[in-house]
Amino acid sequence: MNFSLWQITPVTLFLIFIAPVAIVLFSLTGDYSENWSHLYNYVLIGYIKNSFYLILGVSLTVLILGVGTAWIITNYDFSFKNFFEWALILPLAVPPYILAYTFTGLFDTFGTANNLIREIFDLSRDFTFFPKVRNVPGAIIVFSFTLYPYVYLVSRMAFINQSRSIIEAGRTLGLNKLEVFYKLAVPMIRPAIIGGLMLVVMETISDFGAVDHFAISTFTTGIFRTWYGMYDIETAMQLASLLLLFAITLIIIERYSRRNASYSNAMSLYKPLSHEKLRGFKNFLAFSACFIPIFIGFILPVVELTYWALNYKLDFFNEKFISTAWNTFYLAIIAAFFCSVLAVLINFSIRYKSNNYLKFMSSFLTVGYAVPGLILAIGVMQMLTFIDKSFVSNIPNIVFTGSIFGLVLAYIIKSYALSNSTIDAGYQRINERIDDVARTLKTSGWSLLSQVHLPLLKTSFLTSMLLVVSEVIKELPATLILRPFNFDTLAVYTYVYAAEERMYDAAAPSIAIVMVGLIPIIILTRMIRRSRPASRY
Amino acid sequence: MKLFTEIFVVLIITFVTVGSAFAKEVNLYTSRHYDSDDALYQKFTDKTGIKVNVISGKGKALMERLASEGTSSPADVFITVDAGNLWKVQKDGMFQSINSSMVDNIVPANLRGPNNEWVGIAKRSRVMYYNPVTVSSDEMEGLSYEDLSDPKWKGRVAIRSSGNMYNQSLVSSLIANHGVDATEAWAKDFVGNLARKPEGNDRAQIMAVANGEADIAVANSYYIGLMLSGKKGEEQQSAATKVELHFPGQNGRGAHINVSGAGLLKNAPNKGNAVKFIEFLLTDEAQSHIVNNTYEFPMREGVAPSDLIAQFGSGFKEDQTAVASYGEFNPEAVKLMDRAGWQ
Amino acid sequence: MASLEVKDLSHSYIRGKSVLKEINFSLEAGEILSILGPSGCGKTTLLRIIAGLEKETSGSVNIDDHIISDHLHTVLTENRNIGLVVQERALFPHLTIINNVMFGIKETKSKKYEIAMRLLKLFKVDKYAYNFPNEISSGEQQRVAIARAMAPNPGILLMDEPFGTLDQSLTHQLRTETRKILKDNNTTAIIVSHDFDDAISMSDKVIVIDDGQIVQSGSAKDITHISPEKSVKLGSIISNS
Repeated sequence: MNFSLWQITPVTLFLIFIAPVAIVLFSLTGDYSENWSHLYNYVLIGYIKNSFYLILGVSLTVLILGVGTAWIITNYDFSFKNFFEWALILPLAVPPYILAYTFTGLFDTFGTANNLIREIFDLSRDFTFFPKVRNVPGAIIVFSFTLYPYVYLVSRMAFINQSRSIIEAGRTLGLNKLEVFYKLAVPMIRPAIIGGLMLVVMETISDFGAVDHFAISTFTTGIFRTWYGMYDIETAMQLASLLLLFAITLIIIERYSRRNASYSNAMSLYKPLSHEKLRGFKNFLAFSACFIPIFIGFILPVVELTYWALNYKLDFFNEKFISTAWNTFYLAIIAAFFCSVLAVLINFSIRYKSNNYLKFMSSFLTVGYAVPGLILAIGVMQMLTFIDKSFVSNIPNIVFTGSIFGLVLAYIIKSYALSNSTIDAGYQRINERIDDVARTLKTSGWSLLSQVHLPLLKTSFLTSMLLVVSEVIKELPATLILRPFNFDTLAVYTYVYAAEERMYDAAAPSIAIVMVGLIPIIILTRMIRRSRPASRY
Repeated sequence: MKLFTEIFVVLIITFVTVGSAFAKEVNLYTSRHYDSDDALYQKFTDKTGIKVNVISGKGKALMERLASEGTSSPADVFITVDAGNLWKVQKDGMFQSINSSMVDNIVPANLRGPNNEWVGIAKRSRVMYYNPVTVSSDEMEGLSYEDLSDPKWKGRVAIRSSGNMYNQSLVSSLIANHGVDATEAWAKDFVGNLARKPEGNDRAQIMAVANGEADIAVANSYYIGLMLSGKKGEEQQSAATKVELHFPGQNGRGAHINVSGAGLLKNAPNKGNAVKFIEFLLTDEAQSHIVNNTYEFPMREGVAPSDLIAQFGSGFKEDQTAVASYGEFNPEAVKLMDRAGWQ
Repeated sequence: MASLEVKDLSHSYIRGKSVLKEINFSLEAGEILSILGPSGCGKTTLLRIIAGLEKETSGSVNIDDHIISDHLHTVLTENRNIGLVVQERALFPHLTIINNVMFGIKETKSKKYEIAMRLLKLFKVDKYAYNFPNEISSGEQQRVAIARAMAPNPGILLMDEPFGTLDQSLTHQLRTETRKILKDNNTTAIIVSHDFDDAISMSDKVIVIDDGQIVQSGSAKDITHISPEKSVKLGSIISNS
């Protein structure tokens, strides 16, 4: 087959985007310093153990939270259901490290919550009501309650598109409601759930802020300890590569697990769902199931941060704040747009040209999400300085290093997994026969994409933008090192304070991050609701 | 499609074009994050007309950016809060000598690079805070870091995790003076004396003493000033009044000193401005701005530390170990703490 | 309208057994052909090869005496001037019925509308012109799918199980109407079906495929008057489906 624009463009784009990840992986071919024997003898097992428990605990909890709430919202009618439907994604605006700060502020021995309990019940200073949170279970809670929306979003989408008749058939075969849920409904949307879960796992293993704050030695804190403490960036990159290989293994397993599963049933006619109306105790149960995740993942940190901000640092909201917020916002939108466009182009090319090469490479690019941001930033920086020195050194005033371009590039690589999974899921729902028919109607290539696919992918595209925007707003380490002079984003402010545990100083910018993150979430959820397939076709 | 391509090209060009060359400017990479620093830079600009461009970030990340940018780096000055970082940049050959007699006259030799590539701009000491109710002043008399391995402190000591560079520098200074084996033996006993698993920052250790969770804590000197100032809230302010500050090792080497420091980069495009900037940081005006905002100790004699910190006595004995050695022994210190089980 | 010739056409998947073996047939302009056979016999693959959606392993496809596909040439689907109706109908869910039908017509806006409306009227679905596909019944969707395929006036119309999911009475009515419209427009058409009645009542020619080979071919009349032993074989093929 001859090479067309639709094969060359995505492959070229892909190569640019994969280079930084490849640079990280390339460290594996380098020398192994004697620090490895130290790591192996004293700390590696501990890192792996903690990371493993963390992944396991977070996975189980987000499954329960995400799939459970999605099922309840899709099938039942109860108090404030319409509010919960979109409010359940609000915790996306709260980065795990911010929830971690909130937790220690509240639940440390002399934290706000423990002090309050002592005050109310007039207890002695030795009494501590809440268990300690600076440990693995605490971290599991922090990650689960900020990351479950990934699983909620995909499960909700999948439940909506699920054929009602199969569920009804299940009921007639004598399954009770619970059995229908875990024997039919959940297995049917397994690929979607695993896709969402992958995102959660990758975000969990790449996180540094929250685990560092809790002083838990995970694989990622080990990477930074090796880099910062032993001045050994090579070994740090090699450790990060192991993390990457782990993520690649996960991705291969995921691909393999759904190789024969063609679960899409996009052609089944949409039937308006009949929601069962809940009353009394059941109504309360459903309400609580949806309220608790929002309370812990969103309301609690927002209230605590607002309290701190009001008490200590209100002067943050000055004219500088406006420019900082604006920087954050437009960077996020630009990155989200290009990231989503890239995902559409690559997925279109995979589908249009049955490009299995690209399909494999695309899953490779999604591992960018599992690389700790700072390590990825090093990869991006090395690539940019290479470009500067090799290609544009003679052109005045053009420098890629420390440009907005480099930042956007890093954000795209970091968030591509989010876009890819939503766009991929969107494509799964478009019957391939539609492409066949369109081609016989003389519509191919760009027209096929713009006239048929894009309108059908609108929901997925918006969802992808939403996820990337909230990711970029929260992203900090890459921003810190790649940004131009005098260029601040909200996360930068939060980070510089929070890194020194100056939580009260960090409160105002944190609140700002949450608020700026809320704007796109609200706008995009509204757009998604309007464009949702169920509403019209 | 064509329009799309055009927009894309225009966007990329806009993104990569770095602002026009500002004739009078100095480019600063810094890992200090104080709001008050911005005001300090503004003072410099007001005085000299030289604009200060800033990128702040994690010290090690900025160092990696410097290394990666190499000769084309726009950075003139690198500021960081740990001598170990400065030593590393110097060792990698990315600094050049500052060549300023003003600097040489003000900064003691143990607080600058071997060829004046970098200089300390403010000092901090790693001190001890104790609860005067549970610890007598006799017990504290002459107490040194080394003494904290004594079994009588079992279950009484609070310190943050070994991932923190202040702890790494402290242990490095012990290695510089006692060697690895003796320091490791000390660290094992010291870890056994901890009142709780290391958690939180330096202020959290002071709070632990104030709340009775521990009797004695190791933390940096300026935190007490920060807490007493009320900038961190009433709770911390009142907690700070419950603890006493102790300068360790007054009968021996003296209290461990570290610096916030500035280095002149080898490829500095604005070298002249950079030297002016570093000199400015050591003026009376800049020094008193720094000490009154960050509660560090001044580098320049004749500038008084903030009252909030001076009340604990400013004529204490300083450890004369060259701060540059912290960087040299830092990797060994980290491994040693791993082996000692210091989380 | 175009004529079609399929010569020595074979197809096999990379690792698997052959799906089509040495298929030969030809079709005059304006003729309607039915391809009959049980599920999985390869008839859908044959249709997809003619449409250019899959590439044959060997053999050739000619339209109007031009080679559109052999081992040297491949004319892309979009340049073959072919209409396609798939089993799943695959209407564009985001477009109204009229926009679905207008989609493939390359004319001025008003001309497009005129052509599309005429076809919708012919298929008696003009009253749903501004509805979305999910708002009409499956029979109506089927008609729209055929109208959409005919709208650009293709040289050859390919229909895969066009009445497969519809009920008996609806099928009967739609068959008669469709044949009339095809004949009135002098459209060359291939209908793939596993339904004997489809084949007999709609087409001029019939070929029967089993296990990738043509086991029988002739005029619709011939097939209805076949020798007893052949009839038995055909019957068993059909009933196995």
